Order: sequence, then C-alpha cells, then structure tokens
Amino acid sequence: MRWFAFLLLLPMLASGSVRAEEDGARLFTPCRACHSLDPVERGLPGPNLAGVVGRAIGGDPAFDYSPVLRKARDDGLRWDVARLQTFLADPAAMFPGLWMSMRGIEDAAERQALVRFLANPASR
Amino acid sequence: MNRRQFLKTSAGILATPALTRLAGAQEGPFRVKYYPVTPGMGSRDTAPAPDGTIWFCGQRNGALGRLDPRDGSFKQVDLGKGAAPHGVIIGPDGAPWVTEGGQNAIARVDPGDHKVTLFRLPEKEAYANLNTAVFDKSGIFWFTGQSGIYGRLDPKSGDMTMFKSPRGRGTYGITITPKGDIWYASLAGNHIAKIDPVTGNATVVEPPTPNQGARRVWSDSRGRIWVSEWNSGNVSMHDPADGSWKAWKLPGSNPRTYAVYVDDKDKVWLTDFSANAIVRFDPLTEKFNAFPSDKAGANVRQVNGRPGEVWGGESGNDRLVVIQTVAPA
Repeated sequence: MRWFAFLLLLPMLASGSVRAEEDGARLFTPCRACHSLDPVERGLPGPNLAGVVGRAIGGDPAFDYSPVLRKARDDGLRWDVARLQTFLADPAAMFPGLWMSMRGIEDAAERQALVRFLANPASR
Repeated sequence: MNRRQFLKTSAGILATPALTRLAGAQEGPFRVKYYPVTPGMGSRDTAPAPDGTIWFCGQRNGALGRLDPRDGSFKQVDLGKGAAPHGVIIGPDGAPWVTEGGQNAIARVDPGDHKVTLFRLPEKEAYANLNTAVFDKSGIFWFTGQSGIYGRLDPKSGDMTMFKSPRGRGTYGITITPKGDIWYASLAGNHIAKIDPVTGNATVVEPPTPNQGARRVWSDSRGRIWVSEWNSGNVSMHDPADGSWKAWKLPGSNPRTYAVYVDDKDKVWLTDFSANAIVRFDPLTEKFNAFPSDKAGANVRQVNGRPGEVWGGESGNDRLVVIQTVAPA
C-alpha cells in the first residue's frame, strides 16, 4: 500500500521538480540583461555566473568587481547556497556599496528556486 | 490612494538638516548639499518637479520619494507590492512617471493626492527589466527595458506598443533631442540607437570604442548625443548632423562612467563609480572637475537637474545630492 501511495506521488514530485526548475529559469530572466550561465560568454555588464555556487566571491577573473566584492574575495569568502540565498534577499544589505542594483527577492521559495537553477551545471 | 500607503517621514528625519559643504579647488564656487532619506531605500534616479520638489526612486523599498529641498523633509509613496522603481521623469501633466521594474509597469503618481496608476506591460514582455524613459513632443512616453526591448505608451489612451531592440539585451538610458529625436544606449550591446517614432524602428550607431558599454545618453542643446561609457570609462559625443564622434577618458585610474546629464549651459555631468564622484566636463575647455562624495560607496546612478542645480541619488548611502552651479538668490 505504501509503495502504491509512493507511485501515486511520483508524478506529482516530478512535476514539482520541473516546476521548481521552470521557476528558477523564469526568475533568472531579468538577470540575463547582465549575466550569462554560458561559461564561454564574456564581456557582459555583470560577471559570468557559470559555476558560481562554490566559487570565491568576486571569482570571475575576467570581471572588474565593485570594491566591496573585491574585499570579500580578498577576505576569502565563497558563494555557497545559504550565502547566495541571503544575498538575493537584499544584495545591498550584505554588501553595502555594491555596484549591482536590484531589489531583493522577498519570497524564500523563489530565492531557493533561483539558487537551485544557478547551481545546476546544465542551466543556461 | 490609501492613506496608509502614503508614508510620512518621522519628525526626526524632518528635523535632519541637509549637510552642506563647499567643493574645493573647482572651476566655480559650486556648493554641494546632501539630503539623507530613508535608510535602505536605495535612492537612485531623480526628477526635479515644477513646484521645486525632487521626486526620486527607492529601488530597494519600492517607494517613490518626494524631497522638499527647502527644509529637507521628504515623503514616500508606496508603488505597490514588489515594486522596484528604476527611473522617474516629469510628464507634460506635471506628474512623475516611473519605469517600475518590480511590477513590470509604467507608474504615474498624481502629484496632488499621490494616487498610483499602473500601465502594465503585456504578458509576453513579463520580464522587461524596465529602465528609463522620456516623453516625446507629442506626449508619448518612450521607455527602455534592459531585457532588450523598448516601447511607447500613449498616456491618454493607455495603448502600449513594444519593440525588440535590434541587438537584444542591454537597452538602458534614453534621451530626446531639442528637435524631438529619440536615442537610447545599449549597455550590453555596446551601441547607441535612434528610434523612428513613426515606425518604431531603431537604427544602430556604433561608437568608435569597441565594447565601450554605452550605459546612458543625454542630448545637448545642439542635438549632440553624450554617452556615458561604463566599460571604457569614457564620455563620448556623437553629432548626428555629420556622423562624427569624440571621446574623452575620465580622470583617474580605471574610471567607470555610469551616468551622464547635460545642463542648460551645455556642461556635461557624469558619475564615476571608481572615483566615487560626480564629475563635470566642460566641452569648451575639455577639462574635468571631480566632486567626490564625502562618504564611500555613493553609487550615483543617474544625474538630472534644472537651471543652477545638478541632482543625483546616492543609492549606496540613501541620500540625495545637489550641486549648486550658481549662487542661490
């Protein structure tokens, strides 16, 4: 019976996962004005975000970061899932004087979906 | 509008005097004044209103502010849930009109009762990343979206038409010349473009500096287009009359030219994020004068003004700044 219930739930879980993926892609849409997840795409107004989760803050060697992010890099800080989610809630609160300008994402589920999307190597 | 949406400032803030200092070693006796606003507001683009007040965008808290420079008091209008206003201009009706990226809409705020009217973008442009706007001479509101669109809104009918920018993402600052021509800059696309208001088509014009990062544009009295180049650190000028270009690098190491504004005397005002300064450029002498902020991380993202005053929003410090270019009467 438990297996049956699980099998019934599977499509729902799968569709939930697809929805979360779609949410992440949708939430990344405005970011595309300045950022790319294609590792070979350079020269945009914002740093390349391919592999951002796990790398050093200010870690795109081809990008000229704000002083506050250069300092974070020099302090050895790295992007992990938790820090990215906090950052996206209010970027300028975490890094005052940040050159990037955006209102934070209030909805925690949306922040999680976006970070999952950023963390997925297949995301483009 | 609901009265609760209209947030009055506290008595403490009302009592906060504007901070004033004289800028040293400059070409003129320019006086710099700072006006603190709500912490965490992200005060950025400004628009001087006919009544002497200054409207400004609070991108971080979703409010449109209104500063009275006479006593430093200010008010805030809540633009709606999730609002993130980027740009504000004054319309022919005397009202502030806002490129409201958070709700993906153009917002009009009534200057009398502060009622907010939204003109939402069509669903197919759900993530326009709205940026900046101008009114043309027939009263049509032209706006840009950094996702790679621009559009026109007829405020009377509410009709809105969207256009794809010819080279995709990056559509940023927009300006109108005295003759009525409309130009925009593309930050990610590294060009400027002229919009034909009849067809809505845009014609790309390439600046001579490759990958320059043309962020904002402003016309001078002769219809020449001044461009703030973020990547190159230049200010450049395009004369559509003969197709010519000139460019000047801002002073200092690794300048980052963000905003440009041309005042009523055809002097060019810029912001440089590396120098943390507002910078004046005189096209006649080709000299720069820098007005560094007295606080780090000012990040003035737009400059605007009226005769005798140049205004900016210190988005990183939650203050407005004015540079008085003539002595007050």
